[in-house]
Formats: sequence, C-alpha cells, structure tokens
Amino acid sequence: MLPGVISLIAIIAGIIILLFFIGIGIYNSIVSLRNKVDNSWHQIDVQLRKRYDLIPNLMETVKGYAKHERETLQNVINARKIGIDAKTVKEQAKAENMITGTLKSLFALSENYPNLKADQHFLKLMEQLNGIESNIAYARQFYNDMVMKFNTRIQTFPGNIFARMFNFLSRDYFEIEEISAREPVKVKF
Amino acid sequence: MYEQIASNRAKTVFIIIGFVVFITLVGFAIGYYLDWRYGISNNYSVILMIFALILAVIMSFSSYYYSDRIVLSLSGARPISREENQRVYYMAEGLSIAAGLTIPKIYVMGDEGMNAFATGRNPQKGVIAFTQGLLDNLSDEELKGVISHELSHIKNYDILLGTIVVVMVGMITIISNIIFRSLIFGGGSRRRSSKGSGGGILSLILIIVGVLLILLAPIIATLIRLAISRNREFLADSTGALISRYPAGLANALKKISMHSEVKTASSATAHLFIANPIGDKSKVMFKSLFNTHPPAEERIRRLENMSLGVGIK
Repeated sequence: MLPGVISLIAIIAGIIILLFFIGIGIYNSIVSLRNKVDNSWHQIDVQLRKRYDLIPNLMETVKGYAKHERETLQNVINARKIGIDAKTVKEQAKAENMITGTLKSLFALSENYPNLKADQHFLKLMEQLNGIESNIAYARQFYNDMVMKFNTRIQTFPGNIFARMFNFLSRDYFEIEEISAREPVKVKF
Repeated sequence: MYEQIASNRAKTVFIIIGFVVFITLVGFAIGYYLDWRYGISNNYSVILMIFALILAVIMSFSSYYYSDRIVLSLSGARPISREENQRVYYMAEGLSIAAGLTIPKIYVMGDEGMNAFATGRNPQKGVIAFTQGLLDNLSDEELKGVISHELSHIKNYDILLGTIVVVMVGMITIISNIIFRSLIFGGGSRRRSSKGSGGGILSLILIIVGVLLILLAPIIATLIRLAISRNREFLADSTGALISRYPAGLANALKKISMHSEVKTASSATAHLFIANPIGDKSKVMFKSLFNTHPPAEERIRRLENMSLGVGIK
C-alpha cells in the first residue's frame, strides 16, 4: 500500500518537474523571439536615422536653386520632424510614408530646375537616399518577418497561455500605405 | 531553418570525429604493418596511432579556423573594397539586412566563367566570392538572386560544413595517396624475413583491411561530398528566394550561369561549394549523374519558377 502511494507521488512530482522545464523552454523561446523583433526594429531605426541626417543637407542644396518652392520644402521638414518624434511603430510607419511621399514630390519638382538636376552634390545625395530607401525596405522586410514569427508564437498554443500569463503583447507590422511607396524613389538622369 | 542549422552543426561534428577516427585507424594500420615487418617489439602500431591521433586533432582545429582562408586562396579569390565595386556592396548590404545577417566580405575571382560561392566558419565571418564573369554579365535582379542564395548558405551554416569538408577530404585524399604509393612501391621483398611471422593470418587480414580502407577513402570522400551538397542547393535556392522576394531573379541568373559556369581555379575538392558546377564536361564518366555535385540547373529553375510568393515564411 505505502510503496504504491510513494511511487504515485514520485510520478506526479516527476511530471510536474518535467512540465516546469518544458515551460521554461517555451518562455525562453518567446523572450528570444521578442528580442529578435526588438533587434530587427533597431535595424530599421539605424536606416531611418541615416535618412533624417541626410534631409537637412538635401534641403540646403535644393534651397540654393529652388527657393520659391517653400511649401514642398516645408512638407519634407515637417514630415521629418514627425518621424523623429514618433513613439510607436504605427506612428513611425505613418511618418516614414509621409517622408517618402514628400521626398518624391521634391524630386518631381527638381525636374523643373535643370541646374539643380546637374548639381553634383545633389546627385550624390539622391544616390545616397536611394540606397537608404532600399535598405529601409529590406530592414522592414526582416522586421515584419520577425514580427510574424513572434505574433504566431504568442497567438498559438501553447504560447498563448504564456502570453496571457506574462503579458506578452502582439507587435505591429511596419506597413506601407500605398503600392507606389513600395518602389524606392526612382531617379532619372 | 533552425533544424537545418542544428543538423549542419551535428554533421560538422560527425565529420570531424570521423576524420579523427579515420586518421587514427590509418596510423594504426601502418604501424601494424611495420610491426609485422620489423617485429612487434618496436610498438610501431601504438606509437603511430598516438601520433596520428595528435596529428588529426591538430588538423581538425586548424581546418576549423583556417579552412575558409585555404579555400579562398585555392580558388584564387581576392578581397575587393567597397570603393572598387559599389554595386555589389550595396546589394550585399541590403540583402544582409533583409536576412538579418552581418554584411559578408566580398571576394572576386578573376575568371570569365559565371559562378560564386560562400565560405566562413560562422555567419559573422561570412565571405562571398564571385567570379568577374558573374559580376560583368548578370543584371541587378539576377545578381541579387545569387547573393541571396549565398546568404542563405551562410545563414544555414552550410559554409562551415562545406568548407571543412574541402580541407578534410583533401587531406584524406593526400594521405591515402601517399600510403597507397608507399605500399605498392615500398618493396615487399623483405616481407618474408620478418621475425614475427606468428600472427600471419590476422596481420594479413589487417593489411587487407588497411589497403581497402585506403582504396575506399577517395570514394567515401566523394560520397560525403555528395551527401552534403545536392539537397542544400535546392534549400538555399528557396531560402534565397525568400530573402530577395523575387525567385525569378535567381532563376534567370541560373539560366545564364548554367551556360558558362566553368571556373579554372575550381577543383573536385571545392566544386560542391559553388552555386553551379564549376567543372566543365570534359570527362564522360559512366555514372555521371550519380557523381554530380549539383542538381541539374533545369530542375532548380523549374522549382524556382513554381515558387509563388504568398506561401509564407518558414
């Protein structure tokens, strides 16, 4: 009688310990995925900062040739400020879409100023901006892949139990609004 | 993806252990042969076995740390700077971001054939080497396809396994050649004069086993190379398409590459590293398809063209 009870307790204890360790494994894998999401967000951030740093430079160059286009220039500057101040992924995505859009109208405008189009400094800035735009697109792709993995993990069983217990929240995708924004800004020479 | 990395690491460990065991056994076989010829009292078998073991361990360590450099210099690849080729660096940078990898170093082989390979012992030390012909003849989208393919080799740790195999298989081939020659030409004339003729049959068996082992070594080496090579090309194609999000780029690149993929500096030891078979169709071997290191280009192109994007990311 007694040995039977002891072995029963031992088995139950064993199962509990086993479940505990499985739980630790799942918890750790969720945390590691969350860190990957954060890290991939950082990759986007690096590229966004590069673009913020280039914009004032670009503004100065354009002003030299097209100072009457105050409105277009101001739009870019405003969009940049919103981007810098953005707190959440959604806000950031919206601001970046704005920046891309305003830059596009700025480049369209440069078509009317042959001298500006021929400016070596301007051409170099455009080239750099193009490079950054495509890197942003790549970084966004990686970030969204990671978000999808993370969200899937915490929304499916057994991750969802842990998500509720430890308050893991789904992350937002970094989305682009319009199809045309998918293409990096094209420059024609 | 993660299973692939784990399996590659396990295979690497397995191959290193296999290599150490093989070299030690060869050392023992030679020692046993010498014992049989010159008398057991010299303990050649033990001495040579220990010597071979130490040698094998040192070789394993050095091939882990230096095999990437050995492979690069075997292929005659030289590093190029960002200034020398902005185009490749821009693409490599962007695609590395998309794959979540550190930007690999870029090397170039001065060959007209179109080919590329990746090496390095881990993703942080990744290297991609292109032939000049590839850089000159592919469009941007096609080159991106090739870079993505190589990046996925880096991401999967295929590079570690593939590169270590080059060095280890090369060493086994060299060693077995030396032994084979010395066995044949080393002179059997004094064989009968040995003192320890007692364990005759046993030692004869061991010698036969030893010779068989030595004869089999190149074949084993070839089979190992095949086992690790063919499927991972398909895998790298599909993972690469997920990185570039444009399977047609790689498909078109493969179409061009398969027309002219010969690389002069490539050998049968390094062939499996390349994106397409770098060795020309000079030899009409009977079991050619059996010994191919790469799947046929048509099949790879077909699979890429069938890939639809929305399938999702695994």
